[in-house]
Amino acid sequence: MIALEVHNLSKSFDSVLPAAVSDISFSLERGEIIALLGPSGCGKTTTLRLIAGFERPDEGKVILNDRIMADRTTFVPPEKRGISMVFQDHALFPHLTAKQNVLFGLNKQPKTAAQEKALGMLRLVGLEHLSERYPQELSGGERQRIALARALAPNPIVLLLDEPFSSLDADMRVEVREQVRAILKASRATAVFVTHDQEEALYMGDRIAVFRKGKIEQIDTPQQIFHAPNSRFVAEFIGSTDFIPGEVVEQGIQTEIGMLPQFTKLPSGTKVEIALRFDDIQFKPQAGSKSLVLERQFRGAYNIYRLRLPSGNLVHAMQPHISFFKPGTPVQVSFVSDHPLAIFRNGLAVDY
Amino acid sequence: MLYVFVRAVGGGTDVWMRLLQTRLWSLLANTLTLTLAVTAGTLILGVCMAWLTERTDLPGRTVFRWMLALPLAIPAYIGAIVHLALLRPRGGYVPQFLDWLLGHPVNTPSPLGFAGASFMLILFLYPYVYLLSGAAFRSLHAALDEASHLFGRNNWQTLWSVTLPALRPGLTAGALLVTLDILAEYGTVTLLRYETFSSAIFVQLSGRYDRSAASVLSGVLVLIAIIALWGELRMEGKAQYTQLDSSWRHAPPIRLGPWRFPAFLLVSGVCFASLIVPISVLAAWSIQAFSNQQLLSQVMQSGSRTILNFAFNSLWSAGLAAFLAVTLSLPVALFAKRYPGKLSRVISRLCQTGYALPGVVVALSLVLVVNRALPFLYGTSFVIVIAYILRHMPQAVRASEAALTQISPSMEEAARSLGRTSIQSFFQVTLPLILPGLLAGGALVFLTSLKELPATLLLRPAGFDTLAVRVWIWAEEGFYTQAAPAALLLILASVIPLSFLLKREQIFK
Repeated sequence: MIALEVHNLSKSFDSVLPAAVSDISFSLERGEIIALLGPSGCGKTTTLRLIAGFERPDEGKVILNDRIMADRTTFVPPEKRGISMVFQDHALFPHLTAKQNVLFGLNKQPKTAAQEKALGMLRLVGLEHLSERYPQELSGGERQRIALARALAPNPIVLLLDEPFSSLDADMRVEVREQVRAILKASRATAVFVTHDQEEALYMGDRIAVFRKGKIEQIDTPQQIFHAPNSRFVAEFIGSTDFIPGEVVEQGIQTEIGMLPQFTKLPSGTKVEIALRFDDIQFKPQAGSKSLVLERQFRGAYNIYRLRLPSGNLVHAMQPHISFFKPGTPVQVSFVSDHPLAIFRNGLAVDY
Repeated sequence: MLYVFVRAVGGGTDVWMRLLQTRLWSLLANTLTLTLAVTAGTLILGVCMAWLTERTDLPGRTVFRWMLALPLAIPAYIGAIVHLALLRPRGGYVPQFLDWLLGHPVNTPSPLGFAGASFMLILFLYPYVYLLSGAAFRSLHAALDEASHLFGRNNWQTLWSVTLPALRPGLTAGALLVTLDILAEYGTVTLLRYETFSSAIFVQLSGRYDRSAASVLSGVLVLIAIIALWGELRMEGKAQYTQLDSSWRHAPPIRLGPWRFPAFLLVSGVCFASLIVPISVLAAWSIQAFSNQQLLSQVMQSGSRTILNFAFNSLWSAGLAAFLAVTLSLPVALFAKRYPGKLSRVISRLCQTGYALPGVVVALSLVLVVNRALPFLYGTSFVIVIAYILRHMPQAVRASEAALTQISPSMEEAARSLGRTSIQSFFQVTLPLILPGLLAGGALVFLTSLKELPATLLLRPAGFDTLAVRVWIWAEEGFYTQAAPAALLLILASVIPLSFLLKREQIFK
């Protein structure tokens, strides 16, 4: 069943500036988590606020559980939409205890039922023992979970999360996001999750919508987004990607590091770009080669080498942690051919 | 408010301009020299005191912090009454004492005129600068000092090249408060026979009852005040130097070494002159009044009214003004903070202009406006409340805006997303959270309304006496002992909201 539908949503704040959001459409199954991913200022937060009802759309529709929330003629205020939200700064009410914060959204239920539900939510997030504490007395991660419990308590149709982990320290972020995903899945919540951190999106989202300049560039599962980006922008944004130029020939694609045996429908002679991640190329030392090692970055479990190709293009390649090459070593670079690579023509993915 | 200003300026004619031309220049010179002298004096004294109590190992600095701020509860004219009684060339306590000690009359410097007025105003207005610069000293990051030392500056060079420039926003704000207070000052300058715009307007209004002349003078006075206000806004600009991030540390106190003793003497001297002397003299007079049966009955009963009547009048008029000012400031502040734009900025700025309207000008404008537009209010005590609100509204607006700034809009959005309408969110979330800030604004308005003298004197209906008015009338007639208990009561009533306000300040935590 579809919980949320967004049709052709557009919003601009200033007639001089380009639209913050233009022509956004997607829908969300019940129980699904979608991550809106993009650089800052790409419109992902505006989309979230349009769904919440904190902003009015210029064009388009927001539909929750088949009820129209916003279109040209209707505008349902946020308190009547049946959504809830986890804010970037958590926005816990400092004059209320953790439990009272959770109870805040349960005011329409009978007292005893509300109490029980609030305790249940606190138990779900594992903070029952801190229910009488005030937000100021909780750690960042605990506040995060109380905010989540408060948002989940009224059984929202859709839960909105606005960069919920950005206020946490880096070492806590991974742990908290694992807890949050487990809680969301345990309560079968439908959620829209905004982030600018690709790793977070890949982990949290059942699907990811990549935003660029107010538009959705690609919307797909994390695996698809990673392995089959449909534009150069998405490939660049997800994973650390280098690009090298190539030319379509009969046997595949000819590049400066050799032939990529991958066939396209493009006519011979077409110029394309190939997206390369660390593990897509390998190299070995070879005297007289025009490709050089520039730098080694030690990452613990492996080494990342920055290489300069004869044309001057820079690429990165992964090597085991025991392999050491000095900067300046001439090397021969080649493809690792165990899976097809993403190929772009004029910034868009090429079918193969 | 704009109407008030236009009326005040429009009230004058060219004829009056020409007639007043000669007096205008001397008044202008008097007012400006006093303003400059007192502002400079309070800056030096206030920053000195703040530096000594905040940045050095001065002995007893925690006690001094309080003692240096408390003179805010003493209206300058009450302080001036005490010092005048002590220092008057003939008949003052100090000359009499010297006479008795040395056996012949001694010529002591007269506290009247420019020097005396500057001295007394500096003594009772420096706490504004002291508090603001103290807060700024307190919020400075230790790393600033350390960085300066690493670049080879010593303590003294660091103070001048790093610390004081970082203090600038606090200093300009303090200087502005002092400047506007001096422009509005009536009691002290009248007592010390130094004529400024405010006192001249007062004389025109009460004595000669000449509204046109008063209007012209008011126009010039408001212009000066607006220039000061504008200057402060320009200087403040976007400067936001004090940052409190998570790595903030308090800079370690500077060791005074052999300077400890002179520094201690200096700070004690300031406390002595601005706090201990006025309080103890008033206490002594009060004891004298209470031990004399006839005097006591005069203190307690003046005509058909008792001292309790005066206290009650003071409390309800100031209290009502505080409540209304805060209530009225809320929509303005909400509009300015939640819907920032040109219109909301203009409204917020307009509400700030009350700062630039001295009490006499507010009184004059109200006399003019109420007479024309609201005749039924004329001669009622509500006009006084309106005057307090007009004059002290900026403090309420600033406090409300500051309180709202502390609350992220996401608080209200969270309440909305949990099923509350915008009105419910305001009452259930926003209001409880900003209440302490609103109370602080109210306390400030209450405190300043309690002390307000000229507007009350000019606007009060017959028989409506507040403590401030009673003290002034008795003191002007020379009945110091009779005035003392009421003055003490007034100071006591001011100390309560003041200590509430001070406890909110970082430096008293």
